[in-house]
Amino acid sequence: MTEQPRAIDEMNPDGVPRKVLFVAGAGRSGTSTLAGIVSRLGMHVPLPEVPPDDSNPRGFSEPQWVVDVHDEWLAEALVQVSDSRPEAWFDTGRICSREPARIRVSEWLEPHFAEHPELVVKDPRLSWFLGLWRVAAIRTGATPVFATMLRPPAEVVGSKQKYYANKLGSAHLAASWVNMLLHTERATRPAEGDGGRVFVRYEDLLTDWVRTTTALGHALDLQTIIHTRSDQIREVHRFIDPNLRRVTSTLDDLGLPRRLHELTAATWDELNRLADAGGDTTAAHATFDELRAEYVDLYEEAAAISRSTAEHARHQARRRARAEAADASRSLADRVPHDVRAAIPPSVRRGVRKALGRERGDR
Amino acid sequence: MTIPIGAGHGLTNLEGHTDFDIVWPWNRPGGLRRGATAVLRVKNEAPGLRFVLPPLLRACDHVLLVDNGSDDGTGEEALRVAAEHGLSERFTLKEYPFEVARAGAEHLAVNERSVHSLAYFYNWCFSHVRTRYSWKWDGDMVLTTEGEVSMADLSWQVGMAEAVIRFPRHGLYIESDRKAYLDLGLRNIEEWGFPMSPDYVYTKAPEWEIRTTPERIEMFALPQGLCVELKWLDGDEFAHWTNPESFATSIRNRRKRREWLVWNALHNGQVPEGVVEITSPEGVHVVDHVTHAWLPRAPRPFVVDDPDHAKLHLRA
Repeated sequence: MTEQPRAIDEMNPDGVPRKVLFVAGAGRSGTSTLAGIVSRLGMHVPLPEVPPDDSNPRGFSEPQWVVDVHDEWLAEALVQVSDSRPEAWFDTGRICSREPARIRVSEWLEPHFAEHPELVVKDPRLSWFLGLWRVAAIRTGATPVFATMLRPPAEVVGSKQKYYANKLGSAHLAASWVNMLLHTERATRPAEGDGGRVFVRYEDLLTDWVRTTTALGHALDLQTIIHTRSDQIREVHRFIDPNLRRVTSTLDDLGLPRRLHELTAATWDELNRLADAGGDTTAAHATFDELRAEYVDLYEEAAAISRSTAEHARHQARRRARAEAADASRSLADRVPHDVRAAIPPSVRRGVRKALGRERGDR
Repeated sequence: MTIPIGAGHGLTNLEGHTDFDIVWPWNRPGGLRRGATAVLRVKNEAPGLRFVLPPLLRACDHVLLVDNGSDDGTGEEALRVAAEHGLSERFTLKEYPFEVARAGAEHLAVNERSVHSLAYFYNWCFSHVRTRYSWKWDGDMVLTTEGEVSMADLSWQVGMAEAVIRFPRHGLYIESDRKAYLDLGLRNIEEWGFPMSPDYVYTKAPEWEIRTTPERIEMFALPQGLCVELKWLDGDEFAHWTNPESFATSIRNRRKRREWLVWNALHNGQVPEGVVEITSPEGVHVVDHVTHAWLPRAPRPFVVDDPDHAKLHLRA
């Protein structure tokens, strides 16, 4: 950026209250694009950021600390970023309810308000820990607001397979998308102390980011977005590349099992309604409750049918762990093939043993 | 191994009041749906419901309030509060007409299959739950903002997990609209969240009822500072106990003894060790101030200095 962010008292003489915009959604859904836009418009991404790479050459706008701590907790909970298990939400929910985790996140968040009162926190893993971040906002006297990015599931799945060399298959990725989006919708429903939520179509953001972002700023009362400067607007016009939407495919291309196909399509249809003005209603929430119940039923049935596969994997893991433990207990010398050991002259072997302090006793 | 009492179709009572027989809810047509229900058993709790119900209604899929012989308009007040917040469809009011034994000696003397037993009363109340998870809740327990969002998340996350959730709470002794005393000298944490299944039903313990559990469960606790228990200093806080001697019987009712001590000290103009005096800003009720501002912004880790708890912990 060429200029300093707009002064707070210039935006609002009465002072700008603390606010955190949490950008949620599945990976490859345009979360980096939205976070990149709002940060260029003046909101603050806590530093340092994750550096750009080939999968996202314009940067992720993700705080490195957030990514690292989420990775740590996901590993502890044995939850994958793309995880199709409905019960995974309780696994991460338990971490969210721990006092040390709450303290850690709150203490990390607090000093960043000294940089700017309106922060943006984005990470594709964020949905798993939204409750924790909401608590951190409450504890630091900030208002949490939420933006969930929406991109057609066929494109998200296609993009993941292209960029992350995902070998898990379309059905698993589509199920993970349904699981994440249905539960992100649940997790971001209005709660006491919240400042609102929006759902943003990736396509709308690329087609007309000015209109889409201005609507977001007003809906969430983000002073930085509402009062952004001209040079910042120009910078976003340099940043946005409509060609970012490189993967285009339809749900039919994925060849999903019939019920999963229908559920994925229905979830996408309903999410689209949430992105329309006035679409986020109690009736819509009831529809999402039904879709979530339907997905959990589908998953439980699939898990029951494939239980033999899960048991087999468990036995294999146990056998592998036993083999690794046995391997680790073998001495270094045992791991040298016998014919190699035999080729070493006895005097040299004795010398090495002596040097290692492992001389053999007299026989 | 299943719990014998929960294994059948339901329970009948010794008195033969067939209209108050219990059918376990998992045996009803359609079974249980996903979600969580808070169940409150109350008697004369009208003054606190405007603080208790709104966060609870927002956090849970449903709230069931069972009135047991109130004469202060508790039922009407509950309906009014739910309507005022636009959450009537999440609220159900029921009445249980039988006198229930008070905790302590009176309870010990009553058969658990009597309609007068605390255990039977609780089983009857929870038999009206239609969700897979339940929160036992009291008519004087108020969630803080953080407590509300924590409970709301867990209510949908818990699913069918065999998890029992413990909720800490702190006594808040209210002197006036703007002045109260928060007791941070007692670590009080009890099991409030339970799955709904034949393994989790109510039976009898020496002083009060107890909820059964299977041998292996997962139990975890929420952080301190998420819930307060209202004690109106101009009210009759110990009416549901037989007498003060009833809570001098075991370590299990240490909390009641602490409440008795704090209550009497405050009435004598003394603020006991561990108790914090809080005054709210002009125009803000002290309960709202404590639950929306004071507790959520209190420094963490939230210190509850309870020397007796440490001793008990070491002994255990």
